[in-house]
Amino acid sequence: MHTEAIDPAGITWLRVSPKYVTVRVVGWAAGNLIVVGLLTVPLVMVLAGAWTWPPLWLAVAVPAVMLLLALWRLLLIPRQVRSIGYAERDEDLLIRRGIFYQRTLVVPYGRMQYVDIGAGPVERGLGLCTLKLHTASAGTSAEIPGLPAGEGARLREQLSARGEARLAGL
Amino acid sequence: MPAVKPGGTGIAAEAGAGAEAGTPGGGWLRVHPASPFVRGWFALAAIAFFVGRDTFERMLRGGPLIDQDIAGRAPWLLLGGGAVLLLAVLGYILGWYFTRYQVAEGYVRVNSGFLFKQQRQARLDRVQAIDIVQPLLARIFGLAELKFEVADAGASAVRLAYLRIGEARALRATILARASGVAADPDHPEAVVAEAPEHAVLSVPPPRLMGSLLLSEQSFFVVLGGAVSVVLSAVTENRSFYFYLIPAALGLVAAYWSSFNKGYNFTAAISPDGIRLRYGLLDTQAQTLPPGRIQALRVSQPPLWRIFGWYRIQVNVAGYGAAGNNGENSARTTLLPVGTFAEVLTMLSLVLPDPGTTDPVRVFTAGVNGLAPASGSASASGAAPANDGGFVTTPRRARLLAPLGWRRNGYSATDTALLIRSGRWWRHLVLVPHQRTQSMALEQGPLARRFGVVDLVLHTTAGPVAPRLIQAGLEEGRALLEAQSARARAARRRQTSEHWLEQVRPPVAAPAPAVEAEPREEPSNKEGPHHG
Repeated sequence: MHTEAIDPAGITWLRVSPKYVTVRVVGWAAGNLIVVGLLTVPLVMVLAGAWTWPPLWLAVAVPAVMLLLALWRLLLIPRQVRSIGYAERDEDLLIRRGIFYQRTLVVPYGRMQYVDIGAGPVERGLGLCTLKLHTASAGTSAEIPGLPAGEGARLREQLSARGEARLAGL
Repeated sequence: MPAVKPGGTGIAAEAGAGAEAGTPGGGWLRVHPASPFVRGWFALAAIAFFVGRDTFERMLRGGPLIDQDIAGRAPWLLLGGGAVLLLAVLGYILGWYFTRYQVAEGYVRVNSGFLFKQQRQARLDRVQAIDIVQPLLARIFGLAELKFEVADAGASAVRLAYLRIGEARALRATILARASGVAADPDHPEAVVAEAPEHAVLSVPPPRLMGSLLLSEQSFFVVLGGAVSVVLSAVTENRSFYFYLIPAALGLVAAYWSSFNKGYNFTAAISPDGIRLRYGLLDTQAQTLPPGRIQALRVSQPPLWRIFGWYRIQVNVAGYGAAGNNGENSARTTLLPVGTFAEVLTMLSLVLPDPGTTDPVRVFTAGVNGLAPASGSASASGAAPANDGGFVTTPRRARLLAPLGWRRNGYSATDTALLIRSGRWWRHLVLVPHQRTQSMALEQGPLARRFGVVDLVLHTTAGPVAPRLIQAGLEEGRALLEAQSARARAARRRQTSEHWLEQVRPPVAAPAPAVEAEPREEPSNKEGPHHG
């Protein structure tokens, strides 16, 4: 996997499980299909002759645009998942994500307050989990989704041990 | 238990454990007996107001003092009312009786509640700030509320309302002395700790406060709103909507009054226990910010304040949290409501006793007022010209992204803090000490990628300051992320203890006289060049 321009030099990213794509697709379906479905209601009503407003072109255009946007988002999901990466360095953990809006985050081990592991129903079914790091700042929002459960547990233990060794005050 | 962090127990047993009376029950104190009434006065006043107004109106109408209809039922009403009142008072008194506090063994403990018991303890060395608040009524009775803040950003960890003002001061002195690492006298653990000597640094004269309010951002919108409504009324020939402006005007008056009330008589002082701020017209407040508790700081200047060269300083402190809608928190996170440039430098020298640079005046001046030369040579890999204080600004290639701000948006790192400046009209300078950096992120959107720039976000505790370096050159940003990680790491290693008198620090910061000496000499040699 190539390294993006804003990443620090010489980093080998560990990627999250490709199965996480499924989790994202399920989430995408739950959100977008419902919206598109709801927006299709006026079209059906106009076609059935029950409604005179909106005009047909509008009733077609709105769900069509939403559907295109949704499909585009769907196509992006595999690339977005591939763009998530993390790397453990001696003193800090790096997390990157994003294709268009990229973000590379550095969390020093000494700043971690606690580590969370969570798994939603879909993630649990696929044997994945999401790891969250918390610092004293709410803005940190350090999250690694789609980790295999074993890797998540290993990472949590590793981070806790390193954090304890380097814990600093606020 | 908000004060206790995981893994932080290694330095728990320091503040003279065993020296003090450690048994529960020893040294437990109650707040002042009048507290329930000072706290509940509002409810009592409301009852009195409604009953009194009713009676008064009947008197004006010439009717009997008690309504005919209810005269027959009056005993029952009185009885019922009396019972409710009695229960309320009993509740207050029981609440008072069962609330006890203790400062011992490096902890402050509060037990409260008689049906649902609550025991709370907070570690003294985790103190982020101590406030002594005196609402008007409490002030009349010589009482004060003590707030003890830990890094929770929610409600205060410990609120003791109310103590006699002298007791509150003594308690504050004790807490600060224990937290700073001064061990209690083993023979007399209950001995009163003398308050640390303090040294007044600056005060804000009321005329300047009023001027700053008149020239503030909200005045700008008031004038704008007024002009719009005049134009609208002229165009539509409709006078009625002036009527709707009345609530807006009342709200504005309240906002101005709140700012004036909070900012009145603002004074700052320095003591070995940290920065002391006092302010307030009717309700007074005294804040103590121990050394190193300021997570981030912002100097800002609205456009109209430039006429008089005024600045405002706001800070992030872990215990205060984000400024809510109430004016109280925004006042608490204000380190200087309005001040001259010399005063800004003084406050910066208090927050950052060791500026980490040989020429702090030049660096801070460039940060607050500076502008890179238009040639764009400043962006060439940190080789900034000498008159811009080492600030590295947005590269010239990205000037279309920020046509006004590109010469201003920039950063400069000293040995102890990172300075981020931005804004051509609304000038901002954000300062984050290296020790206080939590985490960092580089962010880049599609447009920024097109221009080869990147944003660097520093994460800090909740508060009014959100440090973000905007539109730095790609190479500079990446290099800064690495360099800043290394600097923060080194700074964390230097900070060995949260007891600030024990911290290994550069000699400038350790003893109080050095801290006090600095602001003395600084205004004198800075006043001239920047006010010419």
